[in-house]
Parts: sequence; structure tokens; C-alpha cells
Amino acid sequence: MTSRRDFIKVTGAAGAGLVLGLHLEAKPRPGEAATRTFRPNAYLAIRPDGRAVLTVPKSEMGQGVRTSLPLVIAEELDLDWSRVELVQAMPGPDFRHLGTGGSTSVSTTWTTLRTAGAAAREMLVAAAARNWGVPPGQCRTEKGFVLGPGGKRAGYGELAETAAKLPVPKTPKLKTPAEFRLLGRPTRRVDGPKIVVGKALFGLDTRRPGQRFAAVLRCPVVGGTPKVWDASKALAVRGVKAVVPVPTGLAVVADGTWAAFKGRDALASSISWNEGPNGDFNSKDLETRMRAALDGPADTARSTGAVVPALAAAARVIEAEYAFPFQAHTTMEPMNATAHVRLDGAELWVGTQSPNTAQERAAAAVGLKPDQVKLNVALLGGGFGRRSGTDFSTEAAQVAKAAGGGPVQVVWDRTDDIRHDQFHPATLHRLKAGLDSHGGLGAWSHRIAGGAVLRSWLGGKKAPGQAETEANGAWDLPYDIPALDISFAEVEVPVPLGWWRAIEIVPNVFARECFLDEAAHAAGKDPLAFRLDLLGKRGQVKLGEEELDIARLRKVLELAAGKAGWGRTLPKGHGLGLACHAYDRRTYLAAVAEVSVEKGKLRVHRVVAAVDCGIVLNPDGLAGQVEGGVAWAVSALYSQITFEKGRAVQENFDTFPVLRLPEMPQVEVHMVASGEAPSGMGEPPVPVSIPAILNAVFAATGKRLRRLPITPSDLA
Amino acid sequence: MPAFQITVNGRRRSVDVDADTPLLWVLRDTLGLTGTKFGCGQGICGSCTVHQDGKAVRSCQVPVKEATGSSIVTIEGLSKDGSHPVQRAWIEEDVAQCGYCQPGMLMSASALLTAHPHPTDGQIDDVIGDHICRCGTYPRIRKAIHRAAKGGAE
Repeated sequence: MTSRRDFIKVTGAAGAGLVLGLHLEAKPRPGEAATRTFRPNAYLAIRPDGRAVLTVPKSEMGQGVRTSLPLVIAEELDLDWSRVELVQAMPGPDFRHLGTGGSTSVSTTWTTLRTAGAAAREMLVAAAARNWGVPPGQCRTEKGFVLGPGGKRAGYGELAETAAKLPVPKTPKLKTPAEFRLLGRPTRRVDGPKIVVGKALFGLDTRRPGQRFAAVLRCPVVGGTPKVWDASKALAVRGVKAVVPVPTGLAVVADGTWAAFKGRDALASSISWNEGPNGDFNSKDLETRMRAALDGPADTARSTGAVVPALAAAARVIEAEYAFPFQAHTTMEPMNATAHVRLDGAELWVGTQSPNTAQERAAAAVGLKPDQVKLNVALLGGGFGRRSGTDFSTEAAQVAKAAGGGPVQVVWDRTDDIRHDQFHPATLHRLKAGLDSHGGLGAWSHRIAGGAVLRSWLGGKKAPGQAETEANGAWDLPYDIPALDISFAEVEVPVPLGWWRAIEIVPNVFARECFLDEAAHAAGKDPLAFRLDLLGKRGQVKLGEEELDIARLRKVLELAAGKAGWGRTLPKGHGLGLACHAYDRRTYLAAVAEVSVEKGKLRVHRVVAAVDCGIVLNPDGLAGQVEGGVAWAVSALYSQITFEKGRAVQENFDTFPVLRLPEMPQVEVHMVASGEAPSGMGEPPVPVSIPAILNAVFAATGKRLRRLPITPSDLA
Repeated sequence: MPAFQITVNGRRRSVDVDADTPLLWVLRDTLGLTGTKFGCGQGICGSCTVHQDGKAVRSCQVPVKEATGSSIVTIEGLSKDGSHPVQRAWIEEDVAQCGYCQPGMLMSASALLTAHPHPTDGQIDDVIGDHICRCGTYPRIRKAIHRAAKGGAE
């Protein structure tokens, strides 16, 4: 429960109505110091004219936070949803830790938002009761009004000034889920009407007076720098105003995006690079190093029992190697940011998942203090973790400073966006399982080798929790296995790494759930029965510092299997596969995929997902996240980034294919009714979908695909 | 350098840019119509789709000189008030997630419905299959097109 100090009343200016400041802090990322301030930083205001103005402290990238978070306040406040207005939070003194990622937006704000809404509602009721001279208990609320005995009725707006003078209740009464009128029912995305008329403003849509546009010519090899170039080539292009060196390369500043691109291309024809130390980096050698690391030292993420003797004593040991490639994010809106840098301050317009970090780093890059930089958070044309990075916003500030004058929008084209991504790292996985003579799983070893995203994120530092982060999804496997050893062997990679939708959990759960399927078949058991046996009848299980409810996972597994018709007779060439996972020990999912393989061509027909994420705020939004997660997973079966001569080989959607409509499987979503606190759904569908599909491929063909992406010869 | 005459959303406009400037950038940078989106710059993803004389085209692949004399309609001009059947169906089905690719989807979907008032799934595949939505809103796009074809009924 939120403590009294988590939200406090703010005395607004006269006429401001009732204004509550809340304390909402993003959970510090691994390696970041936890800070705790009690400055109010998310505002809920009831204006005298009856409007409710809510501040959204999370970035909207399609996951629906601008709908779901205000909905929580509106529910407890009994607001008229049509009169809610949203303000996007900006980094600064009020918001020191804005950050959106990890599917945490709902779980980290839920209690505070509810409590604030309930407190404001009680204050409005108390104000009405005082005006009417009746006990508050005789009043109720409905859609922005307080209703009292004898048909008395007052709008929140007219009560706001009186309510603002009353004490904030210490423990406001929260609704029970049965009393919800907004939550649990489909609510349409608040930005939908603007999106369909082209008026939703993404970062790239920023247009400021006097704005110029820039493209940056960056060395295709990470760490490389310009050696010799001829700026006159770019300056000869009509509309190009300047060529300025910046730390990431050479910026071509022009009066339009096209002129900037043309100037950049002309400049590229004249340049030679100092490629630096990474000119030989390539995927093939990296794989050799990763394989060697599977036999070298590693950091333990979880160890239970003694796995080596358990494997030695097993009646049968199976072993396999799984591989997952580098991936790019390819948000539909390429990276971009707009910056205006003056001597005494700066302003940025950027679609970012990390507003404060972006503000701090941009400020540092141009010699200002963070509070001298005003950063406006635009809508994100896709985030998926890429916009947690701040490289593009920092670079825009550097370009704007170097160019001088007014605002500059730095536009990345698709090749820039792919080639200079902060990549999801490639990993190799070696798994071993020890089976007893009855097919019981007595020992499990999973070693992961690859680059560490967390280290790249922390600027090269190794955090104490690195192994747990990189082995997330592997170490928290929910099965009851007596001897376990999960470890991470770091391999140095020179390219920047970043968080991808569902982060390392994607490859780790892919390897884990596919190999578990192998173990089931080796044991001669049905993959569903094998999992149910390993889950057992347990309830809460402690994993690290968190608790996992095995019963909830078991329930979604049984639900998905039942709805998909597990065990039914299938058409020839079809197969069913399943997988389950408790994502970050919070969101419980199981998926059953039905696939067919005909003439070497895989078709994913249907994915049946069962989910338990606690109380469902917006079932329609939740289903959309599952559909999108499945689409992301299917894309990941075919896409990859490879490196040759220090360069990413892929440059656009022709060589980095992503799922298109004709290949989209039918997605069914079944939600478990729950009174538990809600958790996130943006990422969790991805990791279970991939192994469910590949296990179905095995069921259909007998071919075990252990390496992504799938190549044409794999299923020939 | 001659200016190019194009008609955009019913207004005649004169733009003074290089002849090879893609229509996309004329719309976004010269005319300030940012509803048309930049996605890949190579005609692969469909984010920049507009109507040229009623046909859906990739504006990143149309040099302004080839748009001269054409009537161009962008997402801002698809309807006066967001009431085009596809716009209403998109809201009804709550299609969008991040929303970035949707203007292009809507322009292709509306052109499809003009050509085929009751498109089959195969016809939808053919047209929308040339677009990319990274959020994965495809099932709802299909449903919304069918809904729009039925005059808004589910």
C-alpha cells in the first residue's frame, strides 16, 4: 500500500481547482543508484470547469500507456472519461526518473494512481457533503458528479476549489474490482482519432520556426572516424547550408531532409575513413569466440544442487546447442531528434523512452546543466527498447550546437537506423539435461555465451547483477528440477547493444523451452504432461528475491492447451507446439502454436495464448499487445543482423525482412480472471511464441530447429 | 529553377524544389503536411502512401516532377473530419498501436475499397501485404477493411 507520503496535496494557484501531486518514480535500472525523493511529480487536476487533467509519466510507443494509466485514475475518481485531458510529463525537477521499458508501466504505478484517484474522489465527496450539510456516507459519485440525498448533484469542477482546502485522506477506500466501471472493459486508444487523420505528432513531425534538417555521415564501422573528405561535394547540392564535424561523423545541414540526404550521399563519395580497431569484426569469428566461451569461465546466475554429479549419475544425458542472432529494432519511425541549442539553454523534441537520461546526456554533450535543457517527449513511432537509447538525441544536440542558429532536426534514414542500431546481441546456448530411468528430469544446465547488453548500457561497466540480467528467462525457469546450473559467459563485442522487445528473455526462453521439448521427447513423454509434472502442485516459489506462483503458470498452460485442442488429430503436415513462462516473475503466459510445413515453407496458422497478468485494465489493448508480440516473434524467425568487415550487412527491409499481413497467424487470447495486481503485457508474448512455433515445427516434421533465423534449407 | 505545380488536397500549390525531390519530402518539409510518413525511403514499407489521381502510390518514389499536374490526396485530405469509412472503421476496431504506419495503411485501404468495394482476403493481402507495421496490427487492419466495406458493420 502506498504510504501517506507517496502523494500530497499541491496548493495550486487560485482558480486552479483541486490539484494533487503524486510521487511516481520509475524503478532504477540495474546498476543505477536508487534515489528516493518526495517531491510530487505526477499531477492530477480537477479544473473549475470540470475538466480533469492527468499527467502521463510514461512514453507512448503503442503499448497504450496514455490510455491505460489515466484510466486507472479515472476509475477510482469516477471521472467522465470523455472529459479527461492528458499532459505528457517532461524531465526536470518534478520528474527525475522518467523511463519506460521492461513492461513495468502499469505494475509500478498502479497502486499510486489508484490511491490518488480515490483520495481526490473522497475530497470531492467531502466538499459536497460539507456544502450540503449531509454526512459524506450519504453521497456517491458518478461520471464526474457527486450525488447526494434528495437529488442533490454537483459537478467535480464546482467542488474543486472547496475540495482543495480539505485534508488529503490518509487511507482512501479503493474500489473492489467488482465496482470497476472503466477498467476491465474495452477502451479505445486515446490517440486513435488523431492517428487516423495524420495529426498525431511523432518526433519526426516536429516543425519549429526556422528549422533546418540534417543527415549525419557516420563511419559504417563502429568507432571509425572521418580521415579525408571534400565538403564542397555536399555544399554543391542545392539547399545544403553547412557540413559540420560532430563526434559521430559529419553532419550535412540543409533546408530540407532530401537536400540533407543528397548532400550526405555526395559527401560519402568523397570520404575515406580511419576505421579504427573494429574493421575486422565479423559474425563468423564472433561465433567461434562464443563457442569457445561456452567452455570457459562463466558467471553463475543460479545454481541449485550439484549439477555435475547429477548429470554423471543420470540414466541418460541429452545436450544441444541453440543460436540466436543479432537483431535490429527497425521501429517504423527511424531514429530522429530535433534540437535547438543556445548559449544559455537548449530545447529538444524527441520520441524517447528515457527522457531524463536523454536530457542529462544532451546537456552534458553541449556544456549545459540538465535543467537548462527543456526536453519535449513526442509520441514514439515504435520503441521496442531502441528509444531507451540516447545516442540519437545526444547527437542532435551536438549537431544543433555545431551548426549554430536555430533548431535542427537530425533525420536517420533506414540504413542509418539499421546499421547504427543498438543491437540485440547474438547468443549461443549450450543446454544439458539429465533424465532418470523413469524419464524424470534430475539435472539441467544452461550456459549462455554472448555480449552483455547491461555492460553496453552502463558504458562499459560490469554491474553486479550482470549474469542475472543476461540470463533472465533462463535462470528463472519455473520447473522443479533438483540440480540446476544457469550461467552467463560474456563475450566482448564492439558494437553497441541495447534492449529489444522482451530483451534477453527472447533467446533464453527460446533455448529453454525448445530444449525442454527435446527432453520431453527423450523421456518419451507428452510435452504438456512433462511440463505439468515439472511444475507440480506447488504454489508460491521463491526465486531470487521474488516469488513466482506456480499455480498461476500451471493454469495458463492448461488453459492454452485446452483452447488449442492439445492432443487432437491434426491435418497432415500440421503440428502443435507449446511453451510457457512467467515473465519477470510477474506476467504468466502460455502459447500453443499450430503450424504446417509444405514444400519447405513454414506457415504459422494459429497461436493460442493464455495470459494471467492480474487485473486486466483494458482487455482490447491487452489483446493488441499479444497480437503484436506474436507478430514480433514470427518476424524474429527470419530476421538477423550479421557483420562483415566491421559493418552491419543488412540495410533496409529487403534484407532485414519483417512479418507482413499475409503471413500473420490467427491469434487467440484467453485471459485468466484475476484479482491480483496488474502487470505488463508489452513484451511477455514474444518469448513464449518463438519456442511454441518451433516445437510445433518439430511436431509437424520431426526437424528440430535450434538456430535462428530459419533458412530455406532448414525445412527443405 | 522552375517551380512545380501540384494539387494537394484540392489546393493548387507551387513548390520551388529540385526536380528529383520525392513528393514525400515536398509534402512533409515544403508544405508541412507531416501526416505522410517516412519509413524506408525505398518504396518497401508503404508508410508514405498517398493518392495520385486516385491511385495509391509511394510518395518516396515519386519525384515531384512526375507529380506535376496530378491531384494528390494525403491522409490530411482523405476526409474533412475523419469520417471516411476506413478512418471510422480504424477507430471502431482500435487498429493503431504506435500509429506511425497507419496513415499509409489508410491511404492504401481507401484506394483498395474504391477499386474493390468488397475486397476478398486475397485482395487485402495483395495490397496491405506491401506495407509494414512493426507493432503487428495486421489482424485488426484486415477486420477494419472488411468493416469499412460493409458500411461500418462488424
